[in-house]
Amino acid sequence: MPGVLAKKLALTKERLYGLIGLAIVLALVPVFLGFNFYYVLLATNVMLAASLVAAWNIIGGYAGQLDLAASAYMALGAVVTGHLLASYGLTPWIGMFLGAGLAVTVAVLVGYPTFRFGIKEVWYALLTSALVVILMRIYYLIYGSFETYIPHMEPEWLYLSFRRYEVYYYLLAAMVVIIIWINLKIKSSKLGYYLAAIREDELAAEALGIDVRRYKLYALMIYAALAGIIGGIYITLTGILSYRLFDPWLGIVTAVMGIVGGLGSIEGAVLAAVILRSLEEYLRGAIGATYPGSHLLVYGLILIIVGVLKPEGLASLIRYVKNKLFYRKREEVK
Amino acid sequence: MPQPILRVEDVVKRFGGIIAVNHMSMEVYKNEILGLIGPNGAGKTTLFNCITGVYKPEEGRIIFQNEDITGLPPHVIIQKGIARTWQKVRPFKKLTVLEAVTVGALLRIPDVDEARETAKEILEFIGIDKSRWNRLGSEITLIEHKLVDLARALATRPKLILLDEVAAGLRPHEMDELAKVLLKVREEYKLTLIVVEHVMRFVMGLSERIVVMHEGKKIAEGRPEEVANNPRVVEAYLGTKPL
Ligand SMILES: Nc1ncnc2c1ncn2[C@@H]1O[C@H](COP(=O)(O)OP(=O)(O)OP(=O)(O)O)[C@@H](O)[C@H]1O
Ligand SMILES: [Mg+2]
Repeated sequence: MPGVLAKKLALTKERLYGLIGLAIVLALVPVFLGFNFYYVLLATNVMLAASLVAAWNIIGGYAGQLDLAASAYMALGAVVTGHLLASYGLTPWIGMFLGAGLAVTVAVLVGYPTFRFGIKEVWYALLTSALVVILMRIYYLIYGSFETYIPHMEPEWLYLSFRRYEVYYYLLAAMVVIIIWINLKIKSSKLGYYLAAIREDELAAEALGIDVRRYKLYALMIYAALAGIIGGIYITLTGILSYRLFDPWLGIVTAVMGIVGGLGSIEGAVLAAVILRSLEEYLRGAIGATYPGSHLLVYGLILIIVGVLKPEGLASLIRYVKNKLFYRKREEVK
Repeated sequence: MPQPILRVEDVVKRFGGIIAVNHMSMEVYKNEILGLIGPNGAGKTTLFNCITGVYKPEEGRIIFQNEDITGLPPHVIIQKGIARTWQKVRPFKKLTVLEAVTVGALLRIPDVDEARETAKEILEFIGIDKSRWNRLGSEITLIEHKLVDLARALATRPKLILLDEVAAGLRPHEMDELAKVLLKVREEYKLTLIVVEHVMRFVMGLSERIVVMHEGKKIAEGRPEEVANNPRVVEAYLGTKPL
């Protein structure tokens, strides 16, 4: 039934145009940067953060679970893809999906008992943060502090082994667009309604027939899979396998960006990632040498500013601008 | 004798030292409106929570349509056809009125667009003004939320609905409106209702039968006028709230 499929894949016109517009802008970024080696690398890092935050939005924004393990799932995707490539010459095109598979498996092993015992809020945050550290220790037990380097391999496209950053940029930019699209599809689906209800009030949601644990687990699995694939692409970019991939700080930063963006708003989440990550890189370049680590202060500062001025995050700002630009009658019900 | 749709058999629920529901039994018949009254702390809400699976009773059984549903989780109970509203409101603050009711409708109608249509029909039926459908849960009044809560529950297409103080806070003419809506709802959806309410004028007028709870037990049962003149009921209410 192609008609049914087409309907499932379709977005509303407004959203579709927005997504196409975003794709065009992202495609042009390297051109504006004059294909400068260093700037394109920075832009690639920004896309990495944006795609990870977009994936996080599913568990953090829609389902309302303060998950701090984005870097764990990303690192699982990265180490599976990387080791299979370095040791067996397996193409990352397959490796990234195997990595995503492991990420989902770990997500289920951790998520099932977590949701079963109703672990929520700060306890959930602590537990997921601990997950990153535990996985780091496990990796350390196996590989030690040893760093594995992935050599350059040909053909380039098969092994995603490029000497310039543009391709990596475009791969991650494509991930950003795809993951935003997935977000929008979830939001307007039954899953999206159910996750929103769970986020707002678990007991009321359950009383309306929602199997809260099961739907939380769905959200966690989708997020882990996407983070795993992002990790698979990321490792072909850096080429260095190390326990440092399991980075608790990155897990926290991802959540912070999603929260600053305004919980549940995919536009806000991606915008926050782009702004914060760009600012961080800029500050690292501008004052990082004189005052090491000062760029990290940005997160604290921005979080305080957003918290005080705009508790709804950047999303409320976006909504405000949208309402000004395209005035629509509020009473109108679609 | 008509078949009961719900049977509560000897249910006990304790909280530490407090026995909130103490060997409570009652029957609810198909298509009736049963008023469940009793002074504050009588155990009415706790009994609702036992029936809907929020709490698992320590003793006793709950039989719905000849099936033992004791201890099943809430999302399964509603699947069987028992819906409820909340005494202390539990709004979906960041969902619109229409979205909140759609969440309920999705239980039986997996397609979002169709569920939205059903949600609209129910909102119209309950009499929530169209201009409010796009308001967020955080933007509507407490009274409006009580109606949304009712609409949300109805959207799951229940056979039995438990209403925990829906009329609290309403003005007299609004209460009359609500009573009319509930009667209409019963006809339209072939519903059975259990109504917990402190406002006697409302519950006595609406219910065909009344069960009175006190200290976790049933102390009286019968037609509204019988119950109102029952000395045990009057005694239970003395010093708490005038009947
Ligand atoms: N979660 C709980 N933990 C501890 N005690 C509870 C809990 N819920 C209810 N109780 C106690 O159980 C008893 C019955 O409370 P319940 O809320 O069921 O009464 P009610 O009849 O609904 O009263 P009201 O008319 O005031 O709503 C009260 O003494 C109450 O304090
Ligand atoms: Mg109560």
